Amino acid sequence: MYETLDRSVLKSVGKSEIRPDARVKLTGEATYVSDMVLPGMLYAQVKKSPHARAKILSIDTSKAEALPGVRAVLTGSELDYRLGLYIVDKYILAKGEVRHYGEAVAAVAAESLQIARKAVDLIEVEYEVLPPVLSHMDARKEGAPLVHPDLGSYQYVKEVFTPIPNTNIANWTKLRKGDVEQGFAESEYIVEREYDNPSVQHVPMETHVAIVSWGSGDKVTIYTSAQSPFTVRNLFCNTFSLPLSNVRVVIPHVGGGFGGKAGIHIEPLTACLSKKAGGRPVKFQASREEEFSLLPCRSALTYHIKTGVSKEGKILAQKMEMYWDAGAYADYAVNVTRASGYSASGPYEIPNAWVDAYTLYTNKPYGTAYRGFGHVEFHWGIERHMDLVAKTLGMDPVAFRKLNALREGSLTLTGEKITKHTGDVVACLDAVAASIGYGKLSKEERQRQKDTGWKIGKGVAILQKAPAMPSNTATACVVKMNSDGSVCVNVGLTDIGQGSSAALAQIVAERLGFSYDKVFVKIDKDTDSDPYDWQTVASKGLLMSGNACILACEDLLRKAYLVSSHVLKACVDDLAHDGEGVYVKHDCENRIAWSRIAIGYAYPDGQAIGGPLIGVGSYIAQGLSNLDKETGQGKPALDWTFGAHGIICEVNPKTGEYLIRKIASAFDVGKVINPQLLRGQIVGGMLQGLGTAMCEGYIFDMDGHLLNPSFTDNKIPTSKDIPFEIETIAVENSQIDGPYGARGVAEHPMISVAPALGNALSQAVGVDLVHMPIRSEDVWRAMGDKTPIDNWITKSPIGSCRSDLVHTREVASKHGID
Amino acid sequence: MIAEFSYRGPTTESALLELLSANAHQAKLLAGGTDLLVGIRGGVYHPDLLIDLKKIPAYWNLVLQQDLALSIGPAVTINDILGSAEVRKYHPLLCACAKDLASYQIRNRATVVGNIVNASPCSDMAPALLCLDATITIASVRGSREVAIGDFFTGVKKTVLERDEIVTALHIPPSSASAKGVYRKLKRIQGHDLGIVGVAAAIVNGRIRIAVSSAAPTPVATKPLDRSLPMEAILKEVDSIISPISDVRCSKEYRRFMVLEYTKYLLGEVSSC
Amino acid sequence: MLIQVTVNTVVYEREVKENRTLLRFLREDLGLTGTKEGCGAGECGACTVFLNGKTVNSCMVLAVEADGGIVETIEGEAKKGVLSALQAAFEAHGAVQCGFCTAGMIMSARQLIHNNPRPTREEIQEGLEGNFCRCTGYEQIIEAILDVTGQLQEKEELEYV
Repeated sequence: MYETLDRSVLKSVGKSEIRPDARVKLTGEATYVSDMVLPGMLYAQVKKSPHARAKILSIDTSKAEALPGVRAVLTGSELDYRLGLYIVDKYILAKGEVRHYGEAVAAVAAESLQIARKAVDLIEVEYEVLPPVLSHMDARKEGAPLVHPDLGSYQYVKEVFTPIPNTNIANWTKLRKGDVEQGFAESEYIVEREYDNPSVQHVPMETHVAIVSWGSGDKVTIYTSAQSPFTVRNLFCNTFSLPLSNVRVVIPHVGGGFGGKAGIHIEPLTACLSKKAGGRPVKFQASREEEFSLLPCRSALTYHIKTGVSKEGKILAQKMEMYWDAGAYADYAVNVTRASGYSASGPYEIPNAWVDAYTLYTNKPYGTAYRGFGHVEFHWGIERHMDLVAKTLGMDPVAFRKLNALREGSLTLTGEKITKHTGDVVACLDAVAASIGYGKLSKEERQRQKDTGWKIGKGVAILQKAPAMPSNTATACVVKMNSDGSVCVNVGLTDIGQGSSAALAQIVAERLGFSYDKVFVKIDKDTDSDPYDWQTVASKGLLMSGNACILACEDLLRKAYLVSSHVLKACVDDLAHDGEGVYVKHDCENRIAWSRIAIGYAYPDGQAIGGPLIGVGSYIAQGLSNLDKETGQGKPALDWTFGAHGIICEVNPKTGEYLIRKIASAFDVGKVINPQLLRGQIVGGMLQGLGTAMCEGYIFDMDGHLLNPSFTDNKIPTSKDIPFEIETIAVENSQIDGPYGARGVAEHPMISVAPALGNALSQAVGVDLVHMPIRSEDVWRAMGDKTPIDNWITKSPIGSCRSDLVHTREVASKHGID
Repeated sequence: MIAEFSYRGPTTESALLELLSANAHQAKLLAGGTDLLVGIRGGVYHPDLLIDLKKIPAYWNLVLQQDLALSIGPAVTINDILGSAEVRKYHPLLCACAKDLASYQIRNRATVVGNIVNASPCSDMAPALLCLDATITIASVRGSREVAIGDFFTGVKKTVLERDEIVTALHIPPSSASAKGVYRKLKRIQGHDLGIVGVAAAIVNGRIRIAVSSAAPTPVATKPLDRSLPMEAILKEVDSIISPISDVRCSKEYRRFMVLEYTKYLLGEVSSC
Repeated sequence: MLIQVTVNTVVYEREVKENRTLLRFLREDLGLTGTKEGCGAGECGACTVFLNGKTVNSCMVLAVEADGGIVETIEGEAKKGVLSALQAAFEAHGAVQCGFCTAGMIMSARQLIHNNPRPTREEIQEGLEGNFCRCTGYEQIIEAILDVTGQLQEKEELEYV
């Protein structure tokens, strides 16, 4: 929509407008659920399992119940409700058995946090500890203990997912395009290798927190730090069989989400405590340690890729096997598998493709949505693999990518055609390669290498992602005019820090022709008063809610023109408007001010027409289709956002210590709505990507205990960990159906940072790392050809519990020769 | 805090010693609290009583004597050390170790004495104190005694302190004044982190001292080594005092390698300054 | 124990339990919720406040230790509704996203500038090391501080291809 308008004619879109919520956050006035206290509020704490897998033999809550100040105690035996976004496989509290370290087995609500904690300590649980299945690669095997023996009886979304009963496979997504065996037969080289990355945590600065009151008549009010108010409401009502109008979800400011707050998590348990406590509001806030183990994380991945290329370097066939470690419950992980399955090759044209993507249950904290929805994880494998294939061919990695990248006329893995307006990954690649001076060292760089002895390496990686969402995803916007001519905008899309309230205000200001300060986008969300939005995920918000805002503006204008045509005694087609009011095009003195029609117009004699001016816009994803369950073909993508990163690293060739001198990141965003906001998203996402690349990752012992459940040993990047130089680049090939040509880019900055680093390190000191995170010790081991440390699941203290671990699964063979 | 405890802030040393003696088994001394409160929250310590030592004026003393000996009271913070021009001039190794300790906010509270009483093998201040041959004054109702830093640590988070004793001062002897020293700490990120290994290299009275943290049950140091010793011999000495382990942070092989690498590097640096 | 604490120039007298942290005291007893709890263990800096002129992680300070002391929190940064120069710089440079780290970040930035009126980029990074931010990647925060200390030569911008 309006994608052809050039930046020079746009008044608000394209400007670095100040976000409207910055002030209250800067003064400390902004209220988060963490800050809220309600009258009569109780505090909740949970009893958590110390075991990864165990039968619950008994739970004795009598001492807890007897403690003065305790108002409710719950165990799984009283709660017969099952939850699950896609596969309904989780009880609110563990029932009969625990499936992961940190799983909640009992909960208490009491007058104070201290009493609640004491009560939890008084609950006695007797377990029969069972041997856990920890590595997803072991969970695949015949005879592995079953995390969900009753998988065959669970409800699930049949159109989209395929769980395999009597296994640990929660989902199997297939994609079959063309004929891979034929493609391999015609290939000059076949390159095969396996790549790994561990689970990581989102680490929002505000941990999960909710306050729930289960009032009389089963009217429930939920205040929650969450990304998707309607998902919370709908899933809640589904679980408890309540009509939607019974439940109200309110979201004030949110202290970060990154996907961890995309669904429903602690609200049902908190609600049950409130119900048991006679309806008093109950607040539960996860401690940071609980955030790491009670709350979900990002699934780990093992990705096996086999690529066949022609002599010229064209990819002819690719077989991709993804093994996702979903942990104990399916949650979003099955959809991560599906969304990654259809995007599995990265932004390349693969004429013959075969994907098998599995979601595997293990006895570990479970995976949920995480920025990138699988794409950060699998791009590590793909982009490291592309460098390997290029090396095998003796081809420059940038040239190899350009030869195979998706471009106008290409077909994606699912058979979608790329057009001029889909986006240009090659432009992004060229931009970052130029920015880092790829392929050569400058005179300065050569001197620095000489002076310090640290080797300089340059690497690139490209990326793609489309929103992973249902084909009928929808959203809406309401624009209400105030009696002073300003407008208030309601959307269901939640501002969790990404700045949607600014971007959407700019779009509304642009479409209405108003100044930015006349448009106010309501920041807090309330399912009772805000219009439906599917979820604040998937980088679909700007496009879909932006379009809905434009449609709502046009509806408002239509209504305004109708009233104005009566007032100005002119035909609707002869009207125009500006920031002051509506006027007749050929007689612009004949005008009426907004303030005089905003809530209805009164004639001089007192008669009134019109009424409050409210514009409504609804937008639904168009032309999308479900994927064929056998072939994976279909049209799942609302839009594709492509991008690239280029990294310059410096490595100490003795110790493996390294630093990142520069990163250049480019994205084809269609149209930049707010340059400053975009830059903030790019830098923030990039650093989160560096965190996953350099230092983040869960570490378990052989019994499935999480060994790093706090910041002491689960590190995230600090202000000292940013690259010395950061360049952010926007490419603008308009998205025809995007608002002013824009497409989303919220997740993308995080994707492919890790392989860009891996490729740069490889160029610097010749190390070929296939697992994350990349610590200095990993570089050192690789340089010295020492055994790598697969540090996610440790023997005491290092090693891997995976029984068939083979690290160097690289097979680069000339076709016809073994 | 969820854990319950009471708090007392005696204003004289004799009151503090009495209190400590009467509550030896249930009390812990509170200085900066950056180790203690974390430990209480994490269920590692369960004191019934916290005795705040910060209300005793003499405990804040950071005094450079005429002979350039340095006395550090138990309330002196890491940032107090870094902010002292005198310490920077005459005992720079203390600053070299101090500046890498945690974050600025922590350094405003954490104390030098607290850092060694906590006796973590990862202590950042211990390497400096070991190289500089610090002595420790310990007091209780039963009197006071002096212990050399080399005898202070007895195991992981264990010292010679009895339950009713308090460290009332650290002394750096005049002979260590103007010692040159540098410190380097291997971390998992550039930002604040515990040391994966920490190495201090110093030239004290014309002889080399190397001290290492996070590579043995306690922080350790070589005896004074002759400057004329070849590098292999120095490295052999360092290797003989460390016994690194593998844990979630690092493998023992890499720890050992990095201790020796840092030793080489830091000796070069300290010889030229 | 009865304590008297001056917070943002207002004197408060309250009865507190001896195990109460300064953070919980500020947030729950005094209703000053601008300072946040991010980890409760002195790692993340979201709880940074000034105690007697020095920034501390208030989750690791007991309220009783602040008895007779002076505390400054984010609520005291703006004066009579006017943002301080530091706050205005954060706003102008896009240094605020979800906002949960912001209070602590402003406190640390103020301490840094107080100690060093013209900090270099490296010194700023060093000074903010104890304040985690998951959203911004720190770059725009650093630019805001360079700007407010009169050192921002050229504003870094998004590049267009």
